[in-house]
Amino acid sequence: MVNPKEFKKKIEVSISQDYKVEFLGKNFDQIANLLTESKTEKIYRWIKNIIERKIEPISIGAKKPYKEWMINELLTFRYPFSIRNTEYRILFVKVKNSAYIKFHLGDHNYYDKVRKNLSLI
Amino acid sequence: MIIYNPHNETTLSERLKEAGELLAQIPAKYCFITGSFLYKEKYKDIDVFVITRSKTEITLKNKKVKITTIDFNDLYSLFYRSVSKSCIAKSILPAKQLKVTLTDYWRVINEAIPTLLNQKDKFHKNVRFLILYTEYFKNDEILDTFQLNEKINSFKDYNEVMEYIKRELSGIINKYAKPSYVKRFFYTQAGYYKGLTEYAAQRYLYTLTHNVVKGIAHG
Repeated sequence: MVNPKEFKKKIEVSISQDYKVEFLGKNFDQIANLLTESKTEKIYRWIKNIIERKIEPISIGAKKPYKEWMINELLTFRYPFSIRNTEYRILFVKVKNSAYIKFHLGDHNYYDKVRKNLSLI
Repeated sequence: MIIYNPHNETTLSERLKEAGELLAQIPAKYCFITGSFLYKEKYKDIDVFVITRSKTEITLKNKKVKITTIDFNDLYSLFYRSVSKSCIAKSILPAKQLKVTLTDYWRVINEAIPTLLNQKDKFHKNVRFLILYTEYFKNDEILDTFQLNEKINSFKDYNEVMEYIKRELSGIINKYAKPSYVKRFFYTQAGYYKGLTEYAAQRYLYTLTHNVVKGIAHG
């Protein structure tokens, strides 16, 4: 079990940037509370690998807005995992050659909503 | 109970009964079971699909049951046509005209390649859409879950999948798209990938777009 505040703090420290990344998800804290130590460590390792450019992002060539950006300016990193038979997804969104802007964590319904906003299939 | 079995696959008779019992527990008119549960002695999950507008989560006691909800708006999709092609359904399933475009196919490739390279060892899990769309455009055939599994299992590793896409894509694009569309669409896409070639997936996608445009230029 992980403290959601500590979880967010550790991610902020890893990405070390001036821009404040937004943590989003309808049940973000509840899901974070369900994470075991080993699952949390895997997520931290995944973030470290993103920073070191070892994880392949998805880029979408759509000229549609997403918040204050255009979708074709963004890179999305997707991390699927499951807890007790329930599937969850993290979508970590970055502006190309710039800051990480959104960290989405949610179940399938939430993921479906976000992926539509990001023009993912 | 309706059995959809266009290729006369051998289904396990005891599973038909079990499938009927499971479907009876689902509070929806349109639901069906497909996948290895119907054909294989050993199976991991029981893939149940429910067509509904309801947001209420459906759960069954059987822990192996994996329920996927399909919205009525998704009945035109290749995914629905594939999963419902060979299945056991509670009642006659609704049918809609298939709507699938080359742009959809490119979006599938665009997302599948990074996912494939991020999980090279689990490539079987991540290439379903990629193979389904490629086979549809290549042969005008919608693979059912059984055929799709067979096709996926014919690849030894992720490299073979990447080679297969590289081999088939230009032919597919030439077959379906007008050169003017290809040039406009793929030049634009190539521009997005060009600035990201430090990533292997984006580099591969850039090469694909480049090959397609080159193929058009050389007739």
